[in-house]
Amino acid sequence: MASLITCPHCGTRPKEEFSIRGDATPVRPAPMAPDEAWNDYAHVRANPRGRIREHWQHVSGCRRWLVVERDNFTHEVFAVTDATESRGGAR
Amino acid sequence: MAYDYQTVHALEGTIGAVSERRANHLSVHRASAIASVLAAPGRAAEAAGILVASGEFEARFVAPGEWLVLSDVHAPETLGAELSVRLGDFAFVVDQSHGRVALTLAGPDAARILANGIGADLHIDAFPVGRAANVLCNHLSVNLARTGGDRFGIVVTRSFAGALVDDLKVMARSHELSVDFDTR
Amino acid sequence: MTAYRLASGGLIDRSHTLGFSFDGASLSGHPGDTLASALLASDRLLVGRSFKYHRPRGIVTAGPSEPNALVTVGTGARRDPNTRATVAELYDGLAAVSQNRWPSLAFDLGAVNDRLARFLSAGFYYKTFMWPSAFWEKVYEPLIRRAAGLGRTALSPDPDAYEKSWAHCDLLVVGSGPTGLAAALVAARSGLRVILAEQDFLLGGALLSETMRLDGEAPVVFARRAVEELHGHPNVTLLPRTTVFGWYDDNIFGAVERVQKHSAAVDPARPVERVWRIAAKRAILATGAEERPLVFGGNDRPGVMTADAVATYANRYGVAAGKSVAIFTNGSSGYRTARDLAAQGVGIAALIDSRREAADAAPEGVRLIRGGSVVDTKGRQRIRALVADRGGFEELIACDALAMSGGWSPVIHLACQRGGRPVWSEALQAFLAPDVSGLVTAGAAAGLYRLAECLEDGARKAAAVVEALGRTAAGFERPVVGEETDPSFTALWHVPGAKSKAFVDFQNDVHTRDLGLAVREGFGHVEHAKRYTTSGMATDQGKLGNINAVGILAAMRGVSPAEVGTTTFRPFYTPVSFGALAGTSVGEHAMPVRRSPLHGWAARNGAAFIDAGLWYRSAWFPKAGEKTWRESVDREVRTVREHAGLCDVSTLGKIEVFGPDAAEFLNRLYCNPLLKLPVGKARYGLMLREDGMVYDDGTVSRLGEEHFLLTTTTGMAAGTLAHMEFAAQVLWPELGVRFLSVSDQWAQMSLAGPKARAILQALVEDDLSDAAFPFLAAREVRLKGNLKARLFRISFSGELAYELAVPAGFGEAVADAIMRAGAPHGICAYGLEALNVLRIEKGHVTHAEFDGRVTPDDAGLGRMMATGKPDFIGKRLSTRFGLTAADRAQLVGLKAVEADKDMRAGAHLLKDGAKPSTLNDQGWVSSACFSPTLGGHIALAFLKSGRERYGEKIVVWDKLRGVETAAEVCDPVFVDPENRKLMA
Repeated sequence: MASLITCPHCGTRPKEEFSIRGDATPVRPAPMAPDEAWNDYAHVRANPRGRIREHWQHVSGCRRWLVVERDNFTHEVFAVTDATESRGGAR
Repeated sequence: MAYDYQTVHALEGTIGAVSERRANHLSVHRASAIASVLAAPGRAAEAAGILVASGEFEARFVAPGEWLVLSDVHAPETLGAELSVRLGDFAFVVDQSHGRVALTLAGPDAARILANGIGADLHIDAFPVGRAANVLCNHLSVNLARTGGDRFGIVVTRSFAGALVDDLKVMARSHELSVDFDTR
Repeated sequence: MTAYRLASGGLIDRSHTLGFSFDGASLSGHPGDTLASALLASDRLLVGRSFKYHRPRGIVTAGPSEPNALVTVGTGARRDPNTRATVAELYDGLAAVSQNRWPSLAFDLGAVNDRLARFLSAGFYYKTFMWPSAFWEKVYEPLIRRAAGLGRTALSPDPDAYEKSWAHCDLLVVGSGPTGLAAALVAARSGLRVILAEQDFLLGGALLSETMRLDGEAPVVFARRAVEELHGHPNVTLLPRTTVFGWYDDNIFGAVERVQKHSAAVDPARPVERVWRIAAKRAILATGAEERPLVFGGNDRPGVMTADAVATYANRYGVAAGKSVAIFTNGSSGYRTARDLAAQGVGIAALIDSRREAADAAPEGVRLIRGGSVVDTKGRQRIRALVADRGGFEELIACDALAMSGGWSPVIHLACQRGGRPVWSEALQAFLAPDVSGLVTAGAAAGLYRLAECLEDGARKAAAVVEALGRTAAGFERPVVGEETDPSFTALWHVPGAKSKAFVDFQNDVHTRDLGLAVREGFGHVEHAKRYTTSGMATDQGKLGNINAVGILAAMRGVSPAEVGTTTFRPFYTPVSFGALAGTSVGEHAMPVRRSPLHGWAARNGAAFIDAGLWYRSAWFPKAGEKTWRESVDREVRTVREHAGLCDVSTLGKIEVFGPDAAEFLNRLYCNPLLKLPVGKARYGLMLREDGMVYDDGTVSRLGEEHFLLTTTTGMAAGTLAHMEFAAQVLWPELGVRFLSVSDQWAQMSLAGPKARAILQALVEDDLSDAAFPFLAAREVRLKGNLKARLFRISFSGELAYELAVPAGFGEAVADAIMRAGAPHGICAYGLEALNVLRIEKGHVTHAEFDGRVTPDDAGLGRMMATGKPDFIGKRLSTRFGLTAADRAQLVGLKAVEADKDMRAGAHLLKDGAKPSTLNDQGWVSSACFSPTLGGHIALAFLKSGRERYGEKIVVWDKLRGVETAAEVCDPVFVDPENRKLMA
């Protein structure tokens, strides 16, 4: 019925303000990386149970992409960080 | 052939005349000067400093390095240029005077009415005067600003303005609400 | 008459009378009554028929766990089935009817099921209706559906309004009994934001029906004083008539407030119910405890009630359940009821205590039977006697009501709704809440049954919350409590030697033998037993019977109730109407409507509108005499091809991009080259997904060295923006680029046709000659009248065309001016349908073609791909073998061979004479229309190796409509393949 995500920029909001893209761990391979690397990146996902990192976008708020670290079994949220910052920051 | 173009407000013809002003009032701004300001990469602090320093602008937070700037001093036609001059290379400015509709909801039940569509905590301690953010109001994303203890500024995209006002009327069903264009 | 209204006492206003009806009979009650207390005061013991056996049933409880007294309240569209009479606040004009009986409550034909009981044992559905299997759908299911179920829902639309609200607090207190009030007082005095929710219409909980003294006064005085103080705290929200039904992630609670459910005159302007989503930092569950029924033969006879209910009706509502009430108890609570009844002058037939020894004393003059039990009851539609058993000696005792007390179960449902399992307490013979975070049980809900303990526990746990939130807890002086009853009892899961059915679950007609059968047949696990016997299902979800069922299963399996455990607790605690859950998201508020800035212009020109996503778009513009949409569309297409037309394209997504790396960013975003796009020029752009399929298309215009304007398709505007944000924020945060949507700022219109330039030049100051403003020019222009605009020479129709963008508020005025300037040239307004025909004729693709399975090469756009670029989204995987195979379906045109035969999108393509099969499938039709320009039906389609097959005859096979059309494969560009019109 409801749950909350605390956006690092906007504060605590209902989950309806966000959209979920999925696993945040795959990193886009280099353009000439082998076929397997690109296949894994585009198509293969692990679907683990427990603590996961996902890309969520605060679409109804600041529209920033966030990394939500949460447990997909207990639904506990451990951390919500800006995806750019978690990649080392913008220029 | 004369070319003297008149603007049409997004809510023209959808708001009936108000016979009495009620305890809570939703005022639709007739002509708002609104611009989006995007700080240039790495220049958010400088851009923010300039916006805050000037008393002519009201900068409402949208996202890190992004604001909706409203002004009572400048006209829709000139606000963008004015901001560009002030901000220089620190920011990109886009006129949104036609793309956004500004509203003010004021009254003792204003926060309670908004809680019928907005999930963010609007208690004065949690969302104090001067705070602004984009929030989801039922199905629509709007920019909400607290401009007084029981006064909120709402900025909505033009195409959804009618839907938002309809929603606000429904949200205010248990409270007294009047709606009108502002007199300014 | 047996049950009756006492001469005095209770929290009812005897000076006012409320009229109501039950099964058509006119009855009356008082403000402060529930429907149940008013029915009881009118001696209406029989209120319903049971689910399976259609046995006569009466009121059992005085609260939300009522299994029997389910009635339909209201009439017509406002009919609410399965309303618990025990919590339905009485109002003047309330109309209630009983359920599950035919033709009447007193004479019910379905009661034959009771005689057939041996054929209707647990699991009978699974056994009886197994064979023949063909009977299930036609015979068994309709029969069961007719016989089963409780109330009947209203079939007309709900006339009422509902609402959903958010609330935020430091502390949510659920329940306003002594525990809840003490907790709320401490938290409020300490400055916390407090919400106190109470399902009852009066705040006070057990204090409203308690006779013990607090500071020498009636407990209700303390409750009123506490509520008054809480009212005075601005940081406190009191929510009476509000049931907290669920506990969700992040300590959000769902609650439903009955705003206008206690009135016959509903104000249609206000909601009747309101769903609250309460985000609470902490919560205290002060929901009290539920008295358990005793499981003995004939325990479902009308007039058998819990002892607590009998005391509550007497103390709070001033109603005696009978003139000669028998009491059957396994603990002290039965004695409390006896004392309360005796004090009110109600006759007591006997007090039967299952314990051989106990310290409790019966009121003077009351016959006490220790070590006894009830093994049967007598009477037809109400109890008239019970059969008591003491050491094998049976005795018939006359009575007109029977109060039963089987011990207490803390109400812990909410605490167990997020996966925590209840914990068995051997000492309390009850399940307690598990340790969970964010929520704590207090008072009777935590197994502390004494009033003094409740007050102290509520205050103490609230103080702990205050301290945990970093504040200083205010004090609480507990009132002096009079002499308390010892709350102990000796568990008695079921009474041996029952002479008739002993019910465990009243609502679902489950008796002890059903549970025995479940265990014997291998369904002894508590979750299996629930499904096999239906114990604990339906509207009450076993609130009253589950713990007894667990105890009985434990005894049958020879284990402890701890080992049996409980079934899973889930929301909702009590039923919530669909209307309340939908809130305001109904009708036109279910989905917001999006209006173009040219909406008024289109309406003035007579547009027929169509929903396109959230947008409301002009589809065609019928003129007088045109009878079908096709006539209008054909005319609009011909007018554009021969003269000119104006179309609203404001709904396209528009994104402005800035920054030193803007060009580089776009170059990586689109598959075609953009780095060298000159300022003042537009280019068609194609975005891919990382897997090499087309994502979206549009135009890219360079307005300055570091300033671009993109358009997206209408449908993908939001998705494309999010896609770009992901690329900028996650993939390449090192690029200096900023962008935002300007879709709403601009009214954009397409002026197309051979006369377009002449018409536009009349309005624009700038030179629009082909030399000065060539194909794909894109720049700011000045309209006469000193209005700045953006002009793009781009074409979707294949005609000489311009897209003009003006600030949205000026859109209507400018569109009107174009229509005026165009009138001498024969201009018309054209809509989405004509636009679609024009682009199909020109072979332009849209998302009808880009369905997620299509590569640029499939769509004939392979040459756009700049494979020489170091990287762009989709580059690497677009070179996969599967995406470059020679037999991929490729975009082609189709012309129907016979002029009167049409084609539709979705049809499949077959070789002439081939049998329709997946193997023989040659492709599909993506877009189709009647082409007024060609005078026949045409289509765009994807055909295996299609570009090599121009001229081939093919079958367009439309199974859904049963139509087969012969078509010729051709180039997808039907009109002006040399682009002469475009470049004119």
